[in-house]
Amino acid sequence: MKLTFAFLTSALLLLSACRTDYDIEEVATPQHLGTDHNDDCVECEDEDAEHVHTDHEHDADTSEPDLLRDESDENNASVISGSDRHVHDAGQRNHGTGWFFNQPWAASFIWGKMVRDSVILLILSAVMLFVPGYLRKRRR
Amino acid sequence: MKPVITFALMTLRNLLRRRTIWGISIVILIALFGIGQIPSYGISNEGRFILDFGLFGLEIGALLLAIGLASNIYPRDREKKTLMPVIAVPLSRGQYLMGRFLGAAIVEAAAMLVGCVGLMIILVMNGHNVPVDMLPATGLLLVEGWFLLAVVFFFSFWTSPPLNAPLTVLLFIVSQMSVAGFIKLFPQAPGLMRTLRLILPHMDVFHIKDPIAHGIDIPGMYFFLAMLYGLAYMAFMLSLALVVFRNRDLK
Repeated sequence: MKLTFAFLTSALLLLSACRTDYDIEEVATPQHLGTDHNDDCVECEDEDAEHVHTDHEHDADTSEPDLLRDESDENNASVISGSDRHVHDAGQRNHGTGWFFNQPWAASFIWGKMVRDSVILLILSAVMLFVPGYLRKRRR
Repeated sequence: MKPVITFALMTLRNLLRRRTIWGISIVILIALFGIGQIPSYGISNEGRFILDFGLFGLEIGALLLAIGLASNIYPRDREKKTLMPVIAVPLSRGQYLMGRFLGAAIVEAAAMLVGCVGLMIILVMNGHNVPVDMLPATGLLLVEGWFLLAVVFFFSFWTSPPLNAPLTVLLFIVSQMSVAGFIKLFPQAPGLMRTLRLILPHMDVFHIKDPIAHGIDIPGMYFFLAMLYGLAYMAFMLSLALVVFRNRDLK
């Protein structure tokens, strides 16, 4: 019973400490998420922006072929433009690569949380391992 | 400590005599060989695909090994009536669990090392460089495998072997999800889902195949912290398993 109480108390402490967690998108600074880049970079289209067509209209049945043709046009345009192409340096955060940089190895601001959780887990383990033995000894 | 090591070596010999470990190891090596045959499709850095798929294969191998090695140990000991004499005199329940876990962990480590060397050989045979961080990456996957091993032991004390495997796989899958993704599974109770996700481990901590495949350096401190996190979670799961095992009526 005492062990259960100790475990529940520790678990509640753990939960209150984990209000912000490892979900990097939730706890990251705007700088890490690259929103600064989006503001500065005028050439870049927003990832979530709606694709607007000005030169033609979509039919309900032909939306998919249209999409394919549009992407192909964009690819051709990027090839044709040559040195005008919008290129990012290797290893730099850019559009569509957010998932890559939202991994723990790249987000040093959550490493402290990893240490915190490790310490809490080790304390919980020690409580579960040693408290029952201690209580048994005291009963004798 | 000596009884635990003796019992771990006994477990090691028992596990090596079983066909499961050899079967899973052969499947991992065949999968790695298949990954080595991935064509380049004209892309210059073909090694990236081999490395990415290879490390993913090792991770899945760690999961399969954990289930294959540990899910049957306790039920088999109980069924064959070897458990009672073992824990009656020479070993405590904690020592039994530690011995069994250490034996299985050594087998898992050996299998992962063989897989890592196999992947290195495949990279060299295809004319690619072996990244410096390959061994630490495998080390992190091994820690993940040990954690899964502890999870399988925990489940084996209160579920049947057929239920143990799906529960472990389920935990493996949900532990890879982000908090936002996990909440979407049951959006009616976001608070409950968030709390549940906070208790579950963050297995993305062990994933560094993407930066390695793209040639990005990982700080040494990160390996240390991720290993600490994995080992702490493993210790927690083992303690939890021991609490269940101590309260279990074996008659």
